Amino acid sequence: MKKSTLFLFIFFISNLSYSGNLTGKINFKGAAPKPQKIKMNSDAKCVASHKGDVISEQVVVNSNNTLKNVFVYVKKGLEGKKFPTPKDAVALNQQGCTYSPHVIGVMANQKIDIINSDNTLHNVHALPKSNPQFNIAQPKQGMKTSKSFTKSEVMVKVKCDVHSWMSSYIGVLDHPFYAVSDDKGNFTIKNLTAGDYEVEAWHEKLGVQTLKLKVTDKGATADFTFEGK
Amino acid sequence: MDNHQHHESFVKKYIFSQDHKIIGIQYGITSLLFLLFGFYLVTVMRWQLAYPMEAFPLERFVYPLLGIGVILLFIRGLKIGIHSVVGVSLILLAGVSWYVATRDENMPNRIMLPEFYNQLGAMHGTIMVFLGVVPLAVGAFGNYIVPLQIGAPDMAFPKLNMSSYWCFFVGGVTMLVSFFVPGGAANSGWTSYPPLSDIATTGQTLWLLGMVFLITSSLLGSVNFIITIVQLRAKGLSFMRLPFFVWTQFVTSFLLLLAFPPLEAAGILQLMDRVAGTSFFLPSGLVVSGDPLPANIGGGTPLLWQHLFWFLAHPEVYVLILPALGIVAEVIANNTRKPLWGYKSLVYATIFLGFMSFIVWAHHMFMTGMGSTINAFFQITTMIISIPSIVILSAMFLSLYGGSIRINTPMLFALAFLPMFGIGGLTGLPLGLSTSDIHLHDTYYVIGHFHYVVAPGTIFALFAGIYYWYPKLTKRKMNEALGKIHFWGSFVAMNVIFFPMLIQGLAGVSRRLYDGGQTYAHAQSVLYLNEVMSIGAWSLAFFQMFFIVNLFLSIKKGKEVDDNPWEATTLDWAATTSPPLAHGNFAQVPEVYRGPYEYSVPGSDKDFIPQHQQ
Repeated sequence: MKKSTLFLFIFFISNLSYSGNLTGKINFKGAAPKPQKIKMNSDAKCVASHKGDVISEQVVVNSNNTLKNVFVYVKKGLEGKKFPTPKDAVALNQQGCTYSPHVIGVMANQKIDIINSDNTLHNVHALPKSNPQFNIAQPKQGMKTSKSFTKSEVMVKVKCDVHSWMSSYIGVLDHPFYAVSDDKGNFTIKNLTAGDYEVEAWHEKLGVQTLKLKVTDKGATADFTFEGK
Repeated sequence: MDNHQHHESFVKKYIFSQDHKIIGIQYGITSLLFLLFGFYLVTVMRWQLAYPMEAFPLERFVYPLLGIGVILLFIRGLKIGIHSVVGVSLILLAGVSWYVATRDENMPNRIMLPEFYNQLGAMHGTIMVFLGVVPLAVGAFGNYIVPLQIGAPDMAFPKLNMSSYWCFFVGGVTMLVSFFVPGGAANSGWTSYPPLSDIATTGQTLWLLGMVFLITSSLLGSVNFIITIVQLRAKGLSFMRLPFFVWTQFVTSFLLLLAFPPLEAAGILQLMDRVAGTSFFLPSGLVVSGDPLPANIGGGTPLLWQHLFWFLAHPEVYVLILPALGIVAEVIANNTRKPLWGYKSLVYATIFLGFMSFIVWAHHMFMTGMGSTINAFFQITTMIISIPSIVILSAMFLSLYGGSIRINTPMLFALAFLPMFGIGGLTGLPLGLSTSDIHLHDTYYVIGHFHYVVAPGTIFALFAGIYYWYPKLTKRKMNEALGKIHFWGSFVAMNVIFFPMLIQGLAGVSRRLYDGGQTYAHAQSVLYLNEVMSIGAWSLAFFQMFFIVNLFLSIKKGKEVDDNPWEATTLDWAATTSPPLAHGNFAQVPEVYRGPYEYSVPGSDKDFIPQHQQ
């Protein structure tokens, strides 16, 4: 083996680090709140876009007693590390006069494509505390506006000033290790380097919970349990 | 002050001039450009109102500006002159319009956003009132004509006069710059009501700074006018021999001097609210976008702004109207060849109107819940102020009776002013009564009403003045055929724009609606008028091209005339040359022996006797 090949091999080995997936479930304990119907009467076009009742996504308890729309992210353990910003934009759609998805995560400086799929005027008003606010209107169906936040901030509320029931939350982080729980209450944070971390789960109505854990090359599990208020 | 030509540098003679005539021309050109820009903004708005959310055909709006700009720039082979200054300004305006309209924050894919519409609305009002009509009526006409009509060598304080223009210029530029800051220009309406304006984007801060300069300019100018008229009248020119135009400028100056300081104070207070964390106009417990304001903010009252604003802004209406009445009076007297009917009544009515204009302001605020006692007071004063207005208008109409009327372009504009201002005034009465105001407040009816007062009202009078005094500046008349096309086109178009507003307003359509009322059930039956009005607005723009071409073409090609082409009696025509001498104005200091309108004097061989003729 030539010296240079051996050097490259040693260099590769020395820089190789192990990583695993952090998976988990967001459990819900207690009585599930009564689903809140949204009254869209102030805009006939919003009413016309739904056949039945529209239920608020603020607290969504899944059929298996888990919670949807919980933002889970690594809070501590990644200090000093830098990660490239994804080039793909994350979509935030306004459809049927609701935000879809209700909760999203992005990296700082990553593009967020805000789309109006409704045939009515929406106003997108972001209310961050650390980043500059923006307040833009999208009067026409199909309009798309790209925005981004430069600083990490959990969470940024986005609301529509025209339709008071419309709100969404964006988690902005300087790393890619976050996820949102799905309609089974599951989440997966992929490719987290082995090490010790503090992970936080955030829910817009039920508060936050943190967990300290160790991730190995086989991954780790983190289950959270929120109690109904 | 002597009247010989000084050898002054170009900069001192034409840029930082202290000569009232050059300053008047500076005011005139600048304010006409602002009028054009303010009008341009509304032609863009009218696209959105006629065809909501449809892509804006930018080229159709920008190319005409660019075309006229290029023609004016090259019309005399790139020589420096008024035409090239205006040409470059129009090209710049086209460029700025292009830039502003293609920004994604304003018009993504050429679709106008509501926040940009709000900017256009607020800046249209601000520019037309504070940067267009007032500086043209007072700054331009007042500066150029008043010293000539009173036989004065210049304004009393030439340096103050120069400062006044440059304050105005800086204020205007500040307003224009505001389109380029984050969030764009001011977007809280031309009235800038808090708390909205207190929490608005950066453009509002620049609006306030701009207003401070504009108000300072008006204060400097008004002091100068008052002193000039009191101190520098020619020998024999008693107050009751003053041309009515001078009287209107005199009263206007008092209004500016006394009404503007409260707004300047209010503007500074609002500026402090925005930049220094004070709460003069922010109430306690205010919730913005669902979030309560911090506990240390609050305790102020938004209504205070409304009182301070309208304490200026109602007299401001008369600042817009009085010089216009003065111009119309001059043109009517001259073209009917008979004295103004009831000259003394006109003067007393104007003074009374000036006083009354300070105690009617809260008729703009009936909806604020001031209470029925206060409402009753302001309703009564509002009804009273209509009396001198009717006296003035009636005197003008009666002046026509029995006259051998000369129908020329200035007279056409002056004649049209009378019924248009009449409609504007009469439609104001239901707004002055709190009961009917409940229905009409903040509807298009209000827009129709005040545009009848200011657009086919004041602006027609200003056109009359431009056509009438043009020979004074250039020794040439403007082209009559082009002038008449300009008049008839504008006359029809103005009514096509503003009359439907009254209909929409009576139907309850609110002003400041981004979609022109499309989403409101009660507006559906009158929505078709939006397109009609927009076509009217664009037609009005088309007919202004005849004016612009005429204005510049006539400088060299207009019919050459003698020093008194209209056979007028006042000193501006009779005792000076066209164009007037540099400093000093008059070859011989004039002396006045008679009243201002001695037309068709029995026994006289001519049908007019100049004021300075013994």
